[in-house]
Amino acid sequence: MNYLAQVINSTLREITPILLVSLCAGVCSKVQVFNIALEGTLLMSAFFAFLTHYFLRNIFLSVAVAMVVAMGMTFIMSFFIVKLKGQPMIVGMALNTFARGFTTFLLSVVFKTKGAVNPSDLKGLTKLDLPGIRRIPFVSTMFSSLTVIDYLAFVLAVVMFIIMYRTVIGFRLRALGINQSAASSLGINVPKYQILATTFSGCMIGLAGCLLTLGRNAMFIQDISGARGYVALAANNLCKGHPLGAIISSALFGFTTALAQSLQGTAIRQQLLQCIPYIATIAAMAFYNAYAKAKAKRQAA
Amino acid sequence: MIFEMKHITKTYDTVVANDDVSLHLNPGEILSIVGENGAGKSTIMKILYGLEKPDSGEIIVGGAPRHFHNPSDAMAAGIGMVQQHFMLFEQMTVAENIVFKNELRKGLFMDMDKAVETVRQLSDRYGLKIDPKARIADCPVGLRQRVEILKILYQNAEIIIFDEPSAVLTPLEVEALLDTIRGLAKAGKSIVLITHKLQEVMAVSDRVYVMRQGKVVAERMAAETDMEELAMLMVGHPLASYQIDPPVPGKTLLETRDLCLVENGRKVLSDISLHVNAGEIVGIAGVSGNGQSELIQCITGLARSTGGQVFVAGADVTNRSVKAIRDAGLAHISEDRYVWGSATDGTLEENTLMIRQDDAPFSKRGIVNHKSIRDYAVRLIKEFNVKASSPVQKMRELSGGNAQKLIVAREMSLDTPVLICCEPTRGIDIGAMEAIHRRMLQRRDQGSAILLVSSELTEIMSLSDRIYVIFEGKIVGEFTRGSMDDKHLGLLMVGGTINHE
Amino acid sequence: MNNERNWKRTLLAAVDTITQPLIAVLISFLLGAVVILVIGKNPLLAYGEMIRGAFGKQVYLMNTLKRATPIVMGGLAVCIAWRSGYEAMGGEGQMILGAMAAALAGYYLPLPAALRIPAALIAAAAVGALYSMFSGWLFEKFDVTFVISTLMLNYIANYFAAYLCNYPLRDPDANVYQMQNAQTGKLGPEAILPPIVKGWVHWGFVLAIVAVLITWFLFKKTSFGFKSRMGGLNPRFALYGGINARKMLYLVMILSGVMAGLGGAFETMGSKSRYVDQMIFSTGYAWTGMVAALLANMNPIGTLAASILLAGLAVGGSTMMLNMDIPLEVCNIIEGIITLFMSARMIRIVAGNHRRRKQAKGGSEA
Repeated sequence: MNYLAQVINSTLREITPILLVSLCAGVCSKVQVFNIALEGTLLMSAFFAFLTHYFLRNIFLSVAVAMVVAMGMTFIMSFFIVKLKGQPMIVGMALNTFARGFTTFLLSVVFKTKGAVNPSDLKGLTKLDLPGIRRIPFVSTMFSSLTVIDYLAFVLAVVMFIIMYRTVIGFRLRALGINQSAASSLGINVPKYQILATTFSGCMIGLAGCLLTLGRNAMFIQDISGARGYVALAANNLCKGHPLGAIISSALFGFTTALAQSLQGTAIRQQLLQCIPYIATIAAMAFYNAYAKAKAKRQAA
Repeated sequence: MIFEMKHITKTYDTVVANDDVSLHLNPGEILSIVGENGAGKSTIMKILYGLEKPDSGEIIVGGAPRHFHNPSDAMAAGIGMVQQHFMLFEQMTVAENIVFKNELRKGLFMDMDKAVETVRQLSDRYGLKIDPKARIADCPVGLRQRVEILKILYQNAEIIIFDEPSAVLTPLEVEALLDTIRGLAKAGKSIVLITHKLQEVMAVSDRVYVMRQGKVVAERMAAETDMEELAMLMVGHPLASYQIDPPVPGKTLLETRDLCLVENGRKVLSDISLHVNAGEIVGIAGVSGNGQSELIQCITGLARSTGGQVFVAGADVTNRSVKAIRDAGLAHISEDRYVWGSATDGTLEENTLMIRQDDAPFSKRGIVNHKSIRDYAVRLIKEFNVKASSPVQKMRELSGGNAQKLIVAREMSLDTPVLICCEPTRGIDIGAMEAIHRRMLQRRDQGSAILLVSSELTEIMSLSDRIYVIFEGKIVGEFTRGSMDDKHLGLLMVGGTINHE
Repeated sequence: MNNERNWKRTLLAAVDTITQPLIAVLISFLLGAVVILVIGKNPLLAYGEMIRGAFGKQVYLMNTLKRATPIVMGGLAVCIAWRSGYEAMGGEGQMILGAMAAALAGYYLPLPAALRIPAALIAAAAVGALYSMFSGWLFEKFDVTFVISTLMLNYIANYFAAYLCNYPLRDPDANVYQMQNAQTGKLGPEAILPPIVKGWVHWGFVLAIVAVLITWFLFKKTSFGFKSRMGGLNPRFALYGGINARKMLYLVMILSGVMAGLGGAFETMGSKSRYVDQMIFSTGYAWTGMVAALLANMNPIGTLAASILLAGLAVGGSTMMLNMDIPLEVCNIIEGIITLFMSARMIRIVAGNHRRRKQAKGGSEA
C-alpha cells in the first residue's frame, strides 16, 4: 500500500516537468509555431537554474534566471521560424545541438567535469508540506516532498486554459492559429503575436528546468533533460494543445516513467526499463490515432 | 463623391495590371466594375483596400488624399471588402468571427453574451438572418458570405467592395445576395461590385465601368446600356464563336455505371451513370460543390469509389491505381493547377515529364535520358505557345495562363483516347482560354472522348455536344446540343424540376 | 536576352547556395571565438590548433576522414528521406542498431573468412532498413508523425543496444572491474575493414564515397530520383501523376535506413572493432550528418564535403582541447549555430527586399 503511494508520488514528480513543457508546446502549436527546441530549452534552463543557485545560493533568483533563459531560447526559436522563415525542424534541432554543447562546455569549464555535479551542501527547492495531510498515512506519502512548482504546474494548466479559452488575447491567439491570413486581413500583426506568445509561454519551460535540477537535491547531470522535451511534444500532440488535456496526456508519460523507475532492482534490466516511456509514447500515439480513425469511420456508418 | 481614384498605374514585373485608371463612387450608389479575367478590376480594388500599392496615382477618400499601407488603414477610412476567398476562422462561431479584432470585453475576458447580442441586432437591422452561435464549419457558402458582410458592417464601413461575390453561390443564394446589396444601398452604404456576370450587373447597378487590359474603356449608366453592349466592350471584339461540326458518333470510350461515393457517412455521389463517345465533348454542368470534383477523382483513381464501375476504352478500371487508369488511356487536366496539376518548385522540364517518367525514350530501365526530356519540354513549350524563358525555370515563375497551357500541353500530348478537362480555363486570360478551347475541339474532331467539367456555364454551353446536369451528387438531367436551354439547365442545377406541359 | 537571363539565373543561384553556408560558418566561428575569449583563451591560436589538428598532418587528416565516414552516411540518409518530403530523424537509431548488428554478425556468425565482411555489412544494412521502415509503417498506418516516432525510436535503440552490450552479449574477455563503457567482443581481423594503405583511412571511407556516388546517380539519373523529388515537392501532384506514394515511402525509408545502418557498420568494423556502449549516441554522428546534409542543401556530393569539414571540426577540436585546455564542446556550439543560421533564408530575404525596394524606386521614377 505504501509502495503504491510512492509510485503515485514519483508519478506526480515525473508528470510536472512534462506538463509544464507541454503547456508551452500547447501555446506554440495553437499559434502554429512548431517548436522542437523544447528539449534544448529545457536543458539550458535546468543548467542555468543550477548554475545560478550554485554561485548565488538564492532560490528565487535561480528560478528567475531559468525562466529568462527559457524565454530567451524560445524567442530565438520563434524569431528564426516566424521572421526569418527558417524550417522549424532545423531551427529546433540547431538549438538542441547548441544547448547540448553549451551546457557540457560550461560544465567542464566551471566544474571541470563532464558527468554529474552533486554538491552535498546545496539545497534544492523548498518542499511544501501541506499541514492538513501530514497525519494521513497514505496521502502524506503521496504528496510528500513536492515543491511549490509541482503544485504550480497544475494551477498553471488551469490558468492557461482560462487564458486561452476565456480571455481576449487567448481568443486572438487561437483564431490566428486557425487562419493566419484571415487574422492579418483584419490588421493583426500575426508574427508579433506569434513571437510574443511563444516567448512568454517559454517561462513555463524555465520552471520545468528548475524542477529537474533543483526539484529534490540540487544537482546537474549531463543531458539531464533526457528527451522530456520530445516526450512533452508527443504529449501535446495527443491532447491537441488543450491545457487541461495536457494534464491527462503528461500523466500517461509520467506514469510510465515512474513505473520504469519503480521496477528497478527487479529482474528486468535497467536499460530495458528505460525504453518503456519511449515505447509507451509511440504506442499511445498509434493507438490514439487508430482510435480516432475508427471513431470517424463509425460516425460515418 | 465618397471616393475617387485618379490616374492609378500598377505593374507587376512586365505586366501592366492597371494603366492610368480613374474612377469614382457616389454616396449610396451601387457601382459595378466589369471586365474579363485579368482586365485589372481586382487589382484596382486591392489598391483601394490597401492590399497593393500603386506605382503612381492618387486616392481620395472623404475629400482628403490617402495612402493605405494595409487593409486596416482602409478599414479605418470606412472601406470594407468582401473577398472572393472568405477569410474566416472555420472552427469558431459566427459571433466570434464578427467581433475579432474589436472584441467586446469584460476586463481581460471575452464578453461572448454581448457579442452574440450585438451580432443579432446587426443582423436584424440589415435583414441578414444568421445564428450568431453557429460554427462557421457548419455554415453553407451563402451564410459564410453573410458573415463576411456582417464583419464589415460591424466595423461601420461606409463603402463595401464585393469581389466576384457570386462565383461560389448557387443561383438562389445569388438572388438573396442581390437583395442584400440593394438593402445595403438603401441603408445608405455605397457599394462597389466587381464581377464579370452581366446579369447581376444589370439587376442591381446604378452605374458601370468596363475594364479591358488594365484600362477603363467605358463608363455607362446601367439604365442606358444593355448586356450586349457591355459584353462587346468587355471583350473588345464580337464574342468568339467556335465553328463546331456535328459530332461523328463513335464508340463509347469512357463510361461510369452506378458510380457511388460515401464519405464520412454522406452520400457524395449516388448512382452516376454517364458515357462519353469518341469524337464528342460531354459537359458536366452544376454549381460547384455538387460532387463534380469527387466524380472526377473517382474516375481518375485519386479517390476510391464505394460502388459502381468505371470503364476506360472498354477496360474495367474501377478503383485501380492512377497509373493503371492512365495506362488504360486517360489524360486528366486537373481542376486546380497548383494543388494537383503541378509542382510549383519543380522546373518546367520536370513538370512536363510527369506521367511519362517511366516511358521510353525518357527513361529506360529506370535510367533517365536528360536530352530527350529537355527536347520534349522545349517542343511542348513551343507547340502550345507557353511564354517561358527556359525549360529549367521554376513552374512558379510562369503566369497562371502559361502554367495552365503547360499542363494542357502535357496532358494533350499523351494522346489518349479519353481526356478529362476540369476547369480548363479558370482564372486565365482570354487569349489562353481560346487557345485551350481550340485544342479541345481539335482533339474532339480527331476522335477523342472529352469530359468537360466547368463552373462557367457559358464554357460548357459553347463547347459541349452533350451535357449532364449534376445536383447533390446525382445526374438530374441530360441535354444534347440544340435541345439545350439555359433556363431549364439553370433550374436543374439548383434542384428544380422541369414541367413538361 | 534569353541566354543571358539563364546565365544570370544560374550564377545567382550558385552565389545563393554558396554564400548562405559561408555566412553561416563565419557567424558561428565568430560566436565561437567570443566563447573562447570569455574563458580567457586566444581564439586565433585555438582555431589554428583546430585546423592543424584536423588537416595538418597525414595522421590527423586520416582521423578526420575516419570520423567523416559515419557522418557522410548519416547525411545521405537525411538527403534521401528529406528530399522526398519525409522529415525523418531516425538516422541515429538506425546507425546504432546497424553498428550493433555488424558487431554481432562479425563476431558470432560462423562463416568463412571471406564472407564475414559482406555478412556483417548486409546485417547492418538490413537492420537499419527494417528500423527505418518501422517508422514509415507507423506513419502510413497510424499517422504517427516522423518527428516524434523517429526521436523516440532513437532513444529506444540506444537503450536496447546498451542492454545488449551490458548483459547478454557483453565481451566475454572483458575485465569486469574495468572502468569503461561496456562493449561486445572484439571482431577478428577478417571481419575488420582494413586501411586502404597502411597508415591510411579504412575501406569504409571508400565505401562511403561509393554510397555518395550511388545516391547522386539515383537523384540525378534515375526515374526513382525524379519520383521521390516530385513526392517531396508536391505529394498530390505525384499521386495525380501516377506515382505510387506507398511504394515510394517504403523504398525511400529502406534506402535511407540502409545508409544509416551501413554508417554504423563502418564505425564498428573500421574504427572500434566492436560495439562500445554509447559509441554513436555520445558522438552525435547522425546529427552531424544531418547538419552536413543541410549545409549542402540535400546534395549528396556537397554532403560529403560538408561532412569532412564538420569531422575536421571535431577532430581538430580534440587537439585544441589537449593543447589549449578548451573543452571540445565548442565544436558542438559552433555546429549548432551553423545549423541555426543555415535554417533561415536570410540572404534570399535580404536580396528579395532589396529587389523590391529597387523596383518600387524605379516605378515611382517612371
